Amino acid sequence: MGFGHSKFGFVSDFDIRISDLLEAKMDIFVLVKQVPDPEAIVKVKSDTELDIENKYFTSFFDEIGVEAGLKLKEKFGGKVTVLTVDNRRVDALRRGISMGADEAIQITDPALEGSDQFTIARVLASYLKEKPCDLILAGRQAMDDDAGIVGPAVAELLGIPHVNAVVGLDVEDPKKEVKVTREVENGKEVLSCTLPALFTCQKGLNTPRIPQVMNVMKAMKAQIKKVDLAALGLSPAEVGLSSAKVKVQKYLPPPKRPPVKVIKEDFPDNVKTLVKLLKEEAKVI
Amino acid sequence: MALDFGFAEEQEFFRQTVRDAVNRLIMPRAQELDEKEEFPWDLWKEFAALGYLGLRHKEKYGGMETDTITQMIFYEELARGSCGFAMSAIMQILMGTYFIARFGNEDIKQRILVPAIKGEKIGTICFTEDQSGSDLGGTRTLATKVDGGWRINGRKQWITNGPIADFATVMATIDPKLGLKGLNFYLVERKTENRDGFVPGQRLHKLGSRCSVTGELVFDNVFVPDENFLGEEIGKGVQYAGEILNEVRVMTGMNALAIAKNAMDDAREFANNRIAFGNPISKYQLIREKFAKFWAWYEASRTYLYKCAWMIQNNIPCIHDCMLAKYHSTEMCMYAVEEAMRIYGGNAFCTEYPPQRYWRDAKFLLYGGGTHEVLCDYLGRIYLKD
Repeated sequence: MGFGHSKFGFVSDFDIRISDLLEAKMDIFVLVKQVPDPEAIVKVKSDTELDIENKYFTSFFDEIGVEAGLKLKEKFGGKVTVLTVDNRRVDALRRGISMGADEAIQITDPALEGSDQFTIARVLASYLKEKPCDLILAGRQAMDDDAGIVGPAVAELLGIPHVNAVVGLDVEDPKKEVKVTREVENGKEVLSCTLPALFTCQKGLNTPRIPQVMNVMKAMKAQIKKVDLAALGLSPAEVGLSSAKVKVQKYLPPPKRPPVKVIKEDFPDNVKTLVKLLKEEAKVI
Repeated sequence: MALDFGFAEEQEFFRQTVRDAVNRLIMPRAQELDEKEEFPWDLWKEFAALGYLGLRHKEKYGGMETDTITQMIFYEELARGSCGFAMSAIMQILMGTYFIARFGNEDIKQRILVPAIKGEKIGTICFTEDQSGSDLGGTRTLATKVDGGWRINGRKQWITNGPIADFATVMATIDPKLGLKGLNFYLVERKTENRDGFVPGQRLHKLGSRCSVTGELVFDNVFVPDENFLGEEIGKGVQYAGEILNEVRVMTGMNALAIAKNAMDDAREFANNRIAFGNPISKYQLIREKFAKFWAWYEASRTYLYKCAWMIQNNIPCIHDCMLAKYHSTEMCMYAVEEAMRIYGGNAFCTEYPPQRYWRDAKFLLYGGGTHEVLCDYLGRIYLKD
C-alpha cells in the first residue's frame, strides 16, 4: 500500500490498523462435493451399485461453506480455494468459481474408486497439510450419503480444532480467537477457538449467492488444477475399495407403496370398517 | 464420428447454474406473476444484476458473447420459470437490442445498449400493426426523409415491453407501395420533455404470458436523427430482420419445450397420486398413452431445435429447418398443455392448479416468428416446388 508507512517518521494508530488488516489476509479452503440432484432417479442396480440419473448439483451445505469463505475474503482479503476428490465431476468446483472462489483443485486418480469417507479425508488432509491455510470449511454433511464424516476426519488428521454444523461464524481478527455458533436443543451455544480450524456449515449460516453471469463464464472456462495420488505421496494401495474401513454390503430400495383399499360399504358401516382398519391394519390409532 | 449430440461439460454447467437461479428467483413466484399481470420490477432488477441480459452482446458493452447453443440453453431454462418473464427478458436480450448492437453508432451503443444490458433501460422491437404482422409487406407505419433525419408516423400493436419501453427498434416503410422492399428499422426513444419520441398507447390484457406487459406504441410525426436509421442501405429491413428470425424461431421453440415439460412433469406427479377406481390414474392405458406420445414428440422437438441452434452457430443455412422446428415444437407444446389439462380433470379448471397457466402461456407461442398458418402455407409451397 502506498500510504501509512513511516516515510515521514511517524506511525499513527490508523497506520497500524491498516497494516494489521493487510497481514490478516486469509487462506481459506472449502471442501465441496457433487451429489445427485434430489430430482434424479436413483435405482438399485446390484447389491453394491446404484444406477443414478445424470443430474448432479453441488451439495447444498457445501455452497453455504463457499459463501462463508467468500464473506471472510471480502472482509479480510485473501484467497478462497475449492477442493474436491472426484474422478469424474468438476461441476462443484466450477460452481465454487462461479460464486467467486479464486482457485479450484480436483484430486483425481483411478485408484480412488470405491474409497470410503475416511480415505477421502486422508487424501484431502495429505493435500492440505502442505498448504498455508487459515481456515477449512465444509458442508455439515453431503446430501447423498449424509455421512458427515469427511470434515471432522480431515480436522483430526491435521490436528486442528473443528466445530460441526455451525450457524454463526464471527471472525474479528483471524490472528485471535474466533467465535462460532451451533444450534443445540432449545437454544444455541457459542464456542471459540483459534485458527487454523475446520468448521462444517449448517443451513442458517448464510444464503449462498446466485452467481453473476460474468463469474459463470469465468467458471465455464476455468482451468481446473488436477492433483493425483503420487503428488500427495500416497500409494494406490492406501486408497480405494481394498483399503476402505467401511464397505457397502447391500443397497435396498424403499418399500413399494401398498395398494389402495376402497371401502365399498354404505354409511355408517364404512366408518366402522375404516376405524377398524386404521386400528388393526395400519396401526395408526 | 461426424455426429455428436452431446453438450459440452461447460454447457451442462451453464444449464445447471441458470436452472438454479430460475428455481430460486422465479419458480416460487410463477403463479403470483401470472395473477398480478404487472411487470415485476423487483425481479427484473434482481435478475438484471446477475448479468444475463448481456448474454449475446460484446464484452466491451458489458455482454458475454456466448454461442448460440448456450443462448438456447438459457432460453429453455428461463422459460421453465415464467413464460411472461422470459418474454420480457428475451425481448431485451435478443430482438430489442440486436439492431442497435448491429448498426448503432458508438454514442447510441453507450447511451442505449450499455444501460439495456444492465437492465436500466427497457427495449423492444415493433413489427406488428393492426393489418400486418406475419405479413410484413403490409406495414403502413411511414418513415419520411427530412433534413437531418426522418419523421415517423403510425401505430404499432402487440408490442412486448411496449408500455414500459425506453427505446424501440421500429420497422417502418418509406412507401407502402414498395411492400417488403420499402422497409427499414429506426431507433425511436420514448417521448420526454426534451426529446421527440413515441408515446405508449393502450395496454393489452392477455390470456397468457401475463407478466410481460404488452401494448400499443404511437408515433405521431416523431423526428429521429439520421444516426437512428439502423441499417447500411435503404430498403434492406426485411433482409436484416431475416438475420435474427432463425434465432427467434428456435428461441420460441425453446419456450415451447419448457412449458410442455413443466406441464407434463406436473401431470406425471398428479397422475401418480390421483386415485380413481382404486388405482392411481397413471395405471390406466389411455393416460399412459398421453405420456408416451408427449415423450416421443418432445424428444424429437428438442433434438431438432438444438440441431437448428448448432446450424445457426456454424453458419449453415437453416431457414426452413428453423421454421419446421418452431412449428413442430409449438404444436407439440399445444398437445402437452391440452393433455395435461385433461389428466388433471376438473382440477385443471381451477386457477389453483398450474395446468391452466401452462395452457394459457403456450398459446402465446403460436404467433411469434410467423403464425403456423403462414409457416405451413410457405413450407408446403417450398416442399411441393422441391
